[in-house]
Amino acid sequence: MLIFETRENSRGPALDKATYDAVVVGAGLAGLMSAYYIAKEGFKVAVISKVFPTRSHSAAAEGGIAAYIEGNSDPNDSPDYMAYDTIKGGDYLVDQDAAELLAYKSGEIVDLLERWGALFNRQPDGRIAVRYFGGQTYPRTRFVGDKTGMALLHTVYERASGTDNVDFYYEWFTWDLVVDSDRRVRGVVAFDMRNMTPTFFEARAVVMASGGMGMLYKHSTNSYINTGDGYAMALRAGAALKDPEFVQFHPTALYPSDILISEAARGEGAVLRNNKGERFMARYAPKKLDLAPRDIVSRSIMIEIKEGRGFPGGYVGLDLTHLGEEYIKERLALAYEAALNFAGVDAMKEMIPVRPAQHYFMGGIDVDIKGRNPDLIGLFAAGEAACVSVHGANRLGSNSLLETLVFGRETGIAVAEYLKTASWPSSDVAKDVERSVDQAYSVVKSESGRHFGEILEELRSTMWDYVGIFRNDGGLRNALSKIDQLRGEINKMYVTDKSKVYNTEFFNALELKNMLDLALVIAHAALNRTESRGAHYREDYPQRNDQEWMKHTLTYLRGKTVEISYKPVKVTRWKPEERVY
Amino acid sequence: MSTPVQVQDLQEAEVVFRVKRYSKEKGDYWQEYKLKVDRFTQVTEALRRIKVKQDPSLAYRASCHMAVCGSCGMKINGEPRLACKTLVLDVVKKFGTNVITLEPMDRFPIVKDLVVDMTEFYDRMERVKPRLYPSKEVLEYKAEHRLKPEDQRLLWKFAQCIWCGLCVSACPAVKEDPLFLGPAAHAKGFRFLRDPRDTITEERVKVLADSAWRCTYCYMCYHVCPRDIEPVTAIKKTRALLKSVKPMGPAQEVGHKHSEAVYESIYTYGKINEGVVYVKTYGLIRSLVDMTYAFRAGKAKYALEKVEPVKEVEQVRELMRGE
Repeated sequence: MLIFETRENSRGPALDKATYDAVVVGAGLAGLMSAYYIAKEGFKVAVISKVFPTRSHSAAAEGGIAAYIEGNSDPNDSPDYMAYDTIKGGDYLVDQDAAELLAYKSGEIVDLLERWGALFNRQPDGRIAVRYFGGQTYPRTRFVGDKTGMALLHTVYERASGTDNVDFYYEWFTWDLVVDSDRRVRGVVAFDMRNMTPTFFEARAVVMASGGMGMLYKHSTNSYINTGDGYAMALRAGAALKDPEFVQFHPTALYPSDILISEAARGEGAVLRNNKGERFMARYAPKKLDLAPRDIVSRSIMIEIKEGRGFPGGYVGLDLTHLGEEYIKERLALAYEAALNFAGVDAMKEMIPVRPAQHYFMGGIDVDIKGRNPDLIGLFAAGEAACVSVHGANRLGSNSLLETLVFGRETGIAVAEYLKTASWPSSDVAKDVERSVDQAYSVVKSESGRHFGEILEELRSTMWDYVGIFRNDGGLRNALSKIDQLRGEINKMYVTDKSKVYNTEFFNALELKNMLDLALVIAHAALNRTESRGAHYREDYPQRNDQEWMKHTLTYLRGKTVEISYKPVKVTRWKPEERVY
Repeated sequence: MSTPVQVQDLQEAEVVFRVKRYSKEKGDYWQEYKLKVDRFTQVTEALRRIKVKQDPSLAYRASCHMAVCGSCGMKINGEPRLACKTLVLDVVKKFGTNVITLEPMDRFPIVKDLVVDMTEFYDRMERVKPRLYPSKEVLEYKAEHRLKPEDQRLLWKFAQCIWCGLCVSACPAVKEDPLFLGPAAHAKGFRFLRDPRDTITEERVKVLADSAWRCTYCYMCYHVCPRDIEPVTAIKKTRALLKSVKPMGPAQEVGHKHSEAVYESIYTYGKINEGVVYVKTYGLIRSLVDMTYAFRAGKAKYALEKVEPVKEVEQVRELMRGE
């Protein structure tokens, strides 16, 4: 099915070329969903992923997927309530047409996954079960045990891998988007990680579904593979990132492994305590206490630690001990097991050590509700890599799995539509491909310099300290100068491993380049937005300012500088109001 | 080299990781890394620190660090484990030494250091057609699936396989028998075989029925599975579900005869009569040939032992008749 052409280029060594109608970068839920719907229309698709598809970060989602299902929801609920909850949760930076689409298609997407074999938990009559999640007016979360993401990822992979027109390239590292002089996407350059051989995947459309970027931060619940490659590729190719200043921090990640302890724990009665044993949330949110919104709880924990009331190492305790063995085993099994397996802590006897950690990136490649990027012809994006503006300034729990599936499908359908009329351009991009490969190889050519690891650790600390939960003008400027310095240093990066076989050091070095491009853009946008909204909290501008700032940030990377412009928020029915819970 | 470790209340320790490394250029060799860890440090975190701070060339796979992605299977002090689901100090306590060996999983070809080639594993999974084939009516939205809560619970147990490969690396039957699909594939296969919403049962039976009888019930998969899905239980259930389907494959036929012989022996004697069961399972000719090996090994007396029914044989029969 695949045609590999081997061609001599100017440097001598062969460069392989593979031709597809579309390339999907990333094999998590959004990527697989897009690929399936493109292939369904008879187009040939290559899915390229750094890891085997079921290793993707979608697998890490625990709690569930929100859905309003006609006839299987609270009789008072409606998709409009669901859209409203999403908009309010996102602090009114949500494009309301996107939120409506998410809500109105939620039921059918869960139904579709069921038809594909997903083993959703059931009610006694055999229908899909439902439970409450944070920010929902009525219960809407559907779930598969406590491993919903893993269950859905396997189901969609099983479906997509049984499709004739999809070829999987796993453990292939996508390095660059290739764009011609008409700003048209021509494909991607990717390396086979097993032998470091580059291939030009020529395609008429590219879907970036490469997931998030948690590794930019010293503390993150994300997988090690989430290094923001897709954002950086899009930026380098000239596409905009939208709202990159919005980074979600989850209050309760397990210390020190940063594994997520679900909000459900506090919902079931667990309490946060400092090193004096105080229930400190009483000082910050006297009414909602431990169940205040994520951003408030995260900020409160950080203040406790900063002021010396945390435990050595920098964490607070999540106390379940008063709840009793039976209750913990029945209601909080996952939190209990995570603490036991990953921190060696018996939560029946001692507090679970927790601290906030980066969790999700609301920003992403600028796309409309069909996944189309307006800057580059043929570029699409879906899932966490994209910013459809459905989460605004703060994402609600159980909306991320839903987004990957709903917008993954919308994007796949839109790509197929696009391919029906898009022609194959004739201009030659061989030079661009070669330049891209040379740039990648440059990191293995240095004979001395700094290792990727040193620079990486400095970047992750910088982002955590200055572009984290609390931000201010001085700190963000510090971050920018540090990031500038590190971006200079990676030109002299030294890769010790000269082997061609599974050279992870080489790929880690390329990831670091991506991370630094993205870090620059995030820090710039955070400095630029002089208000506090959702997850973006400026100590020097603590209020939301709708008059000046109810607009999306668009960021372009131009060499060493970041260019910023704006785009209005789409408001259909819901006017901004104060966000009180 | 190894220092005895006081295990009680161990909070921190300096640990030596002995990593078995391999590259095409350098071949096999052992390398040691010293690292200070605390009681929270997972083996994946230790590897990350080694890679970032000491030796960027070390190759291993890791992704979610919470035991749902299945990337980081390896041998830790000889035991097949997920590195993320293993705390360094737990290993120190268990083995009483601060030297920990890390090796790639057995049975898979080594690509580099701790990275193995999983291609054959994925091929095995594909052989059981790991996806639901719903009815046409359901796919065309003319009908709706319902699933009993108890069926959901049963299937979900086996659907939790994360494709890490640890069970296959530990399975002696996979090593010896190319026709055995292996534990992970059987768990996946049973999950769809038993799904009331599936429509290709006949095809699944052809793939699973004979292979299920090639498992030796050694329980290694049961012990090493990081998700406790019990592949061997899936195999047992597959055998039970398909016990009388025809035509039978060679392993299934032998297995079927064996279980009938065991049943008969217990009905007759109230216990296993090894000699009779052997003959009824393998037939007279094969049994005579095998007897020559038994003679040579000095074990023929066990097969020829005269077996008398147990005193309570009538009660046993009553139980077996369901009275």
